[in-house]
Amino acid sequence: MESIITIRSLSKRYGEKAALNNVSLDVYPGQIIGYIGPNGAGKSTTVKILAGIIQDYEGEVTVDGMKLSDNVLAIKSKIGYIPELTELYDLLTAREYLKFVGKLYHLSDDVIESRATSMLDSFGILDSIDNRMDGYSKGMRQKVLITSGLLHNPSIVIMDEPLSGLDANAVIMVKELLQVLKAEGKTIFYCSHMMDVVERVSDRIVLIDKGEIVADGTIDELRKDSGDSLEKIFSKLTSNEDIALKAGSFASLFKNQEEETGASDE
Amino acid sequence: MNKLLLYLMMLPSGLWKRLGADTEQLRAILHAKLLMDDRKPLSFGANKGLERKRKKKKERKNTSFITVLLSFFMGMIYVFPIIMVEANPVIGLAMFYSIFIVFFTFTLITDFANVLVDTKDKLILFPKPVSDKTIMLSRLLYIFIYIFRLAIPMSLPAWIVFGIIKGWVGVLWFPIPLVFLIFVAVFLVCGFYLLMLRLSKPGKFQDVLNYAQIGFSIVFFATYMLSSRMIDPEALQKLDIQVFSWAKYVPTYWVAASWTWIEPSVEVIEGTRWLSILAVVFPLFSLWATVKYLAPSFVKGLVSSDNVNTEKPTAKKSAKEIKSQNRVYRWANMFNKSDASKAGFIITWLQTNRSRNFRMRVYPTFAYVPVYFFYVILIDRKPFMEVWNNLPNTKNFIILLYMTTFVIMQGVTFITMSEHYKASWVYFSSPLQKPGEVIAGAFKAMWVKYFLPFMIAIGIFVVYVWGPSKIWDVILATINITLFIIAQMYFGNRMLPFSQKEQIKDKAGKTMIRMLLIIVLMGGLGLLHGLTLLMWWLKLIFIVLSAIMMWMFYDSLKNTPWEKLKTVED
Repeated sequence: MESIITIRSLSKRYGEKAALNNVSLDVYPGQIIGYIGPNGAGKSTTVKILAGIIQDYEGEVTVDGMKLSDNVLAIKSKIGYIPELTELYDLLTAREYLKFVGKLYHLSDDVIESRATSMLDSFGILDSIDNRMDGYSKGMRQKVLITSGLLHNPSIVIMDEPLSGLDANAVIMVKELLQVLKAEGKTIFYCSHMMDVVERVSDRIVLIDKGEIVADGTIDELRKDSGDSLEKIFSKLTSNEDIALKAGSFASLFKNQEEETGASDE
Repeated sequence: MNKLLLYLMMLPSGLWKRLGADTEQLRAILHAKLLMDDRKPLSFGANKGLERKRKKKKERKNTSFITVLLSFFMGMIYVFPIIMVEANPVIGLAMFYSIFIVFFTFTLITDFANVLVDTKDKLILFPKPVSDKTIMLSRLLYIFIYIFRLAIPMSLPAWIVFGIIKGWVGVLWFPIPLVFLIFVAVFLVCGFYLLMLRLSKPGKFQDVLNYAQIGFSIVFFATYMLSSRMIDPEALQKLDIQVFSWAKYVPTYWVAASWTWIEPSVEVIEGTRWLSILAVVFPLFSLWATVKYLAPSFVKGLVSSDNVNTEKPTAKKSAKEIKSQNRVYRWANMFNKSDASKAGFIITWLQTNRSRNFRMRVYPTFAYVPVYFFYVILIDRKPFMEVWNNLPNTKNFIILLYMTTFVIMQGVTFITMSEHYKASWVYFSSPLQKPGEVIAGAFKAMWVKYFLPFMIAIGIFVVYVWGPSKIWDVILATINITLFIIAQMYFGNRMLPFSQKEQIKDKAGKTMIRMLLIIVLMGGLGLLHGLTLLMWWLKLIFIVLSAIMMWMFYDSLKNTPWEKLKTVED
């Protein structure tokens, strides 16, 4: 099968710091890629390059047979990007915001209206479509953000921590949504810290640390050697220190103090 | 300065403890509030340059000190009536008190909103084990510090001048009536806020407050500009106190009359010596009424307005709102061809309707135009009717027409800025070929919304006063200003709407030079327009040439590519 996203020797530096160091990756259509890594590993940088937001990088990125550097606009219209920060123009109502975004993707008013209302209806917030978003909860904003990313029916969906702030039912809905999108043949690039979710929804997991890919495979392939959960594999590959030991010393801090104050009280 | 204030506030800590407050927590809360004050942006509008300079340092510091300094300079303006104290202390003081209380009350009203409507208290302090009494006391003390920081520097210059004129007795006496006046001011502020809470629908309190603030800033500006034109200082120096007999109904006169206790020989308005008793009675009554009635219902009102802010909104839109919304989309389709322009038009129209910061900055300029106009035509200090009747014989309509630029110029400067500038990621991830199209849409929204109706109104006025032949001047001015605004956007503000931080860095003064060029261009256009008054056919040529240039600039703006766009740096 031909890959839909091909990344070759991708590097990106911020001054002295290398955010991405020679990353190469192939993503196939209809796959859900779980893209994980600790803070500052280079996840968001990769995603922003793919979404066409960062354009000064080294290396080569090809999407659907087109070189990203030469076809930014064509590629952007194929991608639905749902960023990590729920930054919206929240003085607008959800309807107004989605109309604004829809226009940026050249959608007609009717299409925007029908898609926006049915998507927000599925999320259970259609009642609030005409309210300004500055009164929305974090979860409601996240739902609008997801809707805005899918409004133009993209073939590749990039989600950066899409579940943050969502309530339990909405989390279940998004997980279902991922499967529906996958069944429609869409490719999903899923960045998250929530290991259990990544483990369950992803066809393939790519682990990045310090700008380099340190593991790449299905969950079964990653487990093959140790039999550990994804959480354990993650901490083994990305941390040099024993996290359990650190947590222990954190907790013992209170214990020692209690003993001290107990002694002084007596 | 904060350390000193905190030390002073905590001096009677025994008393605070007896009142039921936890002094350690009280100190911590006040300390945090004072620290935050120092890092807040300045609330005075006139310090953009200063703000920019300070921006070079990484964090804001000493805002409160600068505020004190600015209050001091503002205080210098109020010294003027004190100089008249020499002629008659009561009238001099009464004028000073009037100016002081008006400015002090207005500053409190405009600024207090930030102090009082601070919902963070609720989020941060309420979950912690802090007693109600401690929170209440911390708020009261904080308000006290706030007023103290404002009142002392504001009155200091007048205090010094009064001391020079009246000696040590004056120095010692001066602050006492001021304290009484502050009671009255607080009474007025609380009363005003209560009235606003009553009049406004729940949840709209902030909006009503916002418009009130805009109204006040206009009154400020108009009084400041026009009073110097209306009052003849020579007449004031020869003043005869009996002319001011109406002053006996004004509370500031009562307070001023209390000077007769120190200097009984001073002349007052006939039969008003007894009014000085009211100098004590009225402020104390204000204080009592504030504490007993206004403050409690005020706090209650604030709490309910807080609640409204955090409630989940469920109300449906009214038919009127939906109608006005549809109008925006209709106009977006009418004035724009491309989808990107439509998007720019829609977001600019809607955001400018709703952003408080934008309204605060732009709406007052609507009033500046007539105020400046009268400032200019009243320059000779002639009686108003004489000036008015002579108006058609002057060429002042050119000034008036070109003044309409203020509003849209201010507008286009601020449409690029937003607290939520990060939300502009959406332009960058969407397949936008030329960001210039969005900018062009934003420009059209501003033109249709803030220029066209205003120009029509001023145009009708000009034609009414100066005659129908001036319609060509209205057209020429419209084209010239449009050209000017597009040029301003092209050279200085090629940024996507609402994509910049509230304050942006100036790069090596380049923007300054560009802006200077634009001002030269504007001056040139105005002068050329003046020339066309000599020969009518020159006007027609000018209209055609200006229109061509306007179209060329607009086309370049619309075709701005990504590379030429200014984006936020981080």
